[in-house]
Amino acid sequence: MRLSPTRESEIVEELAQHLEDRYEQARRWGASEEEAYRAASQELTESDLLAQGLKLFERPARVEPIAPGTPRRFGMLGDFGHDLRYGVRTLWKNKSFTAVAVVALALGIGANSAIFSVVNTVLLRPLPYKEPERLVMVWEDNSKIGYPRDTPAPANYADWRDQNQVFEGMAATADQSFNLTGAGEPERFDGKRVSANFFSLLGVEPQLGRGFMPEEDLNGANRVVVLSHGLWQRRFGSDAGLLGKTVTLNGEPYTVVGVMPQGFQFLNEDVGMWVPIAFTPQQANNRNSHYLKVVARLRPGVTVERAQAEMSTIATRLQQQYPDANTDLGAGVVSLHEEVVGDIRPALLVLLGAVGFVLLVACANVANLLLARAAVRQKEIALRTALGASRLRIVRQFLTESVLLAAVGGLVGLLLSVWGVTLLRSFIPENISQVKAISVDARVLGFTVLVTLLTGLVFGLAPALQASRFNLNETLKEGGRDAAAARGGNRIRGLLVVAEVAVSLVLLVGAGLLINSFMRLRNVDPGFRTENLLTMGVVLPQQKYPDAARRAAFYTDMIRRVEALPGVRSAAVTNWIPLVSQGDSIGVTIEGQPAPTGKPHIIVTRVVSPHYFDAMGIQLLQGRGFEEGRDRVDSPCVVVVSEAVARKYWPNESPLGKRLAPGTVETEADWCQVVGLVRDVRQFELAAESKPLMYLSYGQAGFFAPRHLVVKTEGDPLALAGTVRKTVWEVDRDQPVSNIRTMEDVLAESIARQRFSTLLLGVFAGVALVLAAVGIYGVMSYSMAQRTREIGIRMALGASKWHVLKLAVGQGLKLVAVGVGLGLAGAFALTRLMSSLLYGVSATDPATLVTISLVLVAVALLASYLPARRAAKVDPLIALRYE
Amino acid sequence: MAMSYIGSDILARELKKGSAELLILSLVEHQPRHGYDIGSLIEQRSGGVLRFNVASLYPLLYRLERRGWIQGRWVEQAGQRRRRYYRLTAEGKKVLAAQRHTWREFVEAIGRITDMEHA
Repeated sequence: MRLSPTRESEIVEELAQHLEDRYEQARRWGASEEEAYRAASQELTESDLLAQGLKLFERPARVEPIAPGTPRRFGMLGDFGHDLRYGVRTLWKNKSFTAVAVVALALGIGANSAIFSVVNTVLLRPLPYKEPERLVMVWEDNSKIGYPRDTPAPANYADWRDQNQVFEGMAATADQSFNLTGAGEPERFDGKRVSANFFSLLGVEPQLGRGFMPEEDLNGANRVVVLSHGLWQRRFGSDAGLLGKTVTLNGEPYTVVGVMPQGFQFLNEDVGMWVPIAFTPQQANNRNSHYLKVVARLRPGVTVERAQAEMSTIATRLQQQYPDANTDLGAGVVSLHEEVVGDIRPALLVLLGAVGFVLLVACANVANLLLARAAVRQKEIALRTALGASRLRIVRQFLTESVLLAAVGGLVGLLLSVWGVTLLRSFIPENISQVKAISVDARVLGFTVLVTLLTGLVFGLAPALQASRFNLNETLKEGGRDAAAARGGNRIRGLLVVAEVAVSLVLLVGAGLLINSFMRLRNVDPGFRTENLLTMGVVLPQQKYPDAARRAAFYTDMIRRVEALPGVRSAAVTNWIPLVSQGDSIGVTIEGQPAPTGKPHIIVTRVVSPHYFDAMGIQLLQGRGFEEGRDRVDSPCVVVVSEAVARKYWPNESPLGKRLAPGTVETEADWCQVVGLVRDVRQFELAAESKPLMYLSYGQAGFFAPRHLVVKTEGDPLALAGTVRKTVWEVDRDQPVSNIRTMEDVLAESIARQRFSTLLLGVFAGVALVLAAVGIYGVMSYSMAQRTREIGIRMALGASKWHVLKLAVGQGLKLVAVGVGLGLAGAFALTRLMSSLLYGVSATDPATLVTISLVLVAVALLASYLPARRAAKVDPLIALRYE
Repeated sequence: MAMSYIGSDILARELKKGSAELLILSLVEHQPRHGYDIGSLIEQRSGGVLRFNVASLYPLLYRLERRGWIQGRWVEQAGQRRRRYYRLTAEGKKVLAAQRHTWREFVEAIGRITDMEHA
């Protein structure tokens, strides 16, 4: 029967009120819930009479017949408006239910929006260059020795640039640090030498002034500099008059020609200034020093694959042309986007998957709540059916309510995500620079709306179908709660618990693996001691200290003064402290072990001062370390090697007395004798096995200049930072000191990404665990309440409390067991996807799987024990009174 | 049902139907009442002889309302769900007076006939 929606809802409300009064009165008179329910239902016998009776007196909603073909839009909209109003009223009436559901949904949706906003910014948003999809990086492919993306040598870069037909342009960049002196404290900045076309190739114009002219990219004409926005702002007070003025960099005057816009960055590197790369003829012809990063712009219509094919052809030609330098050397083309986000992508996708799972668990919980409520709403549904509402109509009403609920949850979730994004930004390691740009934009909003709608449908569908399947006659005949419909509800609730447990298990296993792997990472012995170790950059400008002797003089003086400070145990310099750089390895000649053509023995080289091993706590295993006054430029060259070197080149014998030489051997004096063997250190990253590493004395090796000062202190290293810096300035008041950190911070920063993923996934898994526990608890409480009388009978027949507990907990455990089984299967399939994030644990680590399963079972056990204990406390007399 | 011979069911139903309107109008004469209240009062005061369930009571209420004899109004009370209270309209008052009069005459007439036979 078609009533006007308003009228219908009024009638439903009035009749429902009546039934409720009847029910409550019956209860007041001492009827059991069931009997009271039956009494209320009896009011509805002859329900066809009700429909007929109403039909006689209530005016149908639409008097005019609908012309065939007329869209019933108005009716649909009207119905929807009605559904909506009715939904709002229903939710408002059940404030506590609504609040619980909204909190669960807001957590789920908020977490999704927050993580999606990171994914959006980091993975989806185009890089901030002109037509960024045409930008690629070109690397030397040196896979044979384990560097598929190696930095090219200048001569190779020049050949690539001149011979290719696929790129519109190609630009090279190289790292260079600058000491900025003159006004104010001396400061050191990381900068770049770049080809003149670098900025125009990226398609980014300076905010002020200009980029570089081609003629400035020539050796001798290159004393011009473009500043970063940050440096210009901080150091020069955003002075527009700076253009055309000179600044002193590394002791030489440079003319400022431009300032880049705020946020301009390349490859996530924090750079203060750019100067023309201006190769000297010597540099330009060099095929053996590999230190460039090369970016290129594809011609329109050229794919990365085609560019790769052409670059491979060119690389093969170069191999034949220059067999000495280029044997086994290919060229690799990688899209710039892949280059920038490739590393972080797996972690972000795993996190996105994880929050998706959290939302699923939240959905299952809300669906459970709705199901329980659908059972309570049977009266209302019976009435609406009696009034002639179709099944579709009831499904729609329920879905409207659940989507409405999701919408409120989504709105709160969005607010949470705005807050969460702020929080995330402070957690995300700084070397993922796009993170600064993370925000909630239109795409994130769209995503949230979509997720919200889907969420509403997902958790609303089961209760809606369940409710509509509710059979009036059966309910009336069988007297309510024990009817098949209710049993069906229990089945769905059981399934939801199984699903919740399964999904939570997958999440927990994922988090467990990451935590396990992170702990292993933390427990890796890096080969050095991080406690009470202060590190800082002290890089001498080439112009002021052009040779090893002058550098050594400065550092010797500096170290002597620093070591004289109270609270300092020892101090030393090195070209790179561990865990900050991949660089400075050289090809060596090893006596008696000729290298195959074109494949020199590559050994990572650290140039250190005598107390380096002491200060770093690197254990000396054999022989001696370097000694002041003994290993000088005029004494025979000596070298200390790591265990990995000894294992590789002199297995099963002592390396002491062996000889090797950096580069090639021209005279007998080029040989360096091994005088010491030290323990391996994790030089590059904690997760990577130690590579062969040799140490040379800073007094003898001129080719790598020391950059870092390490100071072993008695107490808190940072307390000495200021004093040490002043001491450096006592030696040279223009010498910048940069990047003062403790070694513990350096180590923590090197695993910041892992910590970030672990922390987030851990939090998500925790939320899922809590939601799942609440879900199990809810279902078990409901089920126990339904079975009160059965339990009463059992106890009256002599069952002990223990029996009842076992019965109830057993029921819960059965569900959990199925869930754990499914979850383990899921974890097996899914955690493989995160194997790239793991260190030292396999993606199917049995210990983690077992531990996590046990944790989940324990939580589930508790969640079903609490309701069971309550059930077991029931007095059989009370349970049976009305039987 | 109290009556046990054939035909008594039908008589009871017809009597109930014939008197229902009058019962409802009488109950809301002095104060507005909601549906459940009306149903309970009928059952109580008739000592359980007369009972209306939802399916029979509400169509009647809506019929009376449609005729303009009673008027329903949603009333909200603190801490409770809102209820629909029905009160007698001016026209309802006249109808009630007329029906009451007719009913009394009818009962007296029946009484005179049935009582006399037994007297």
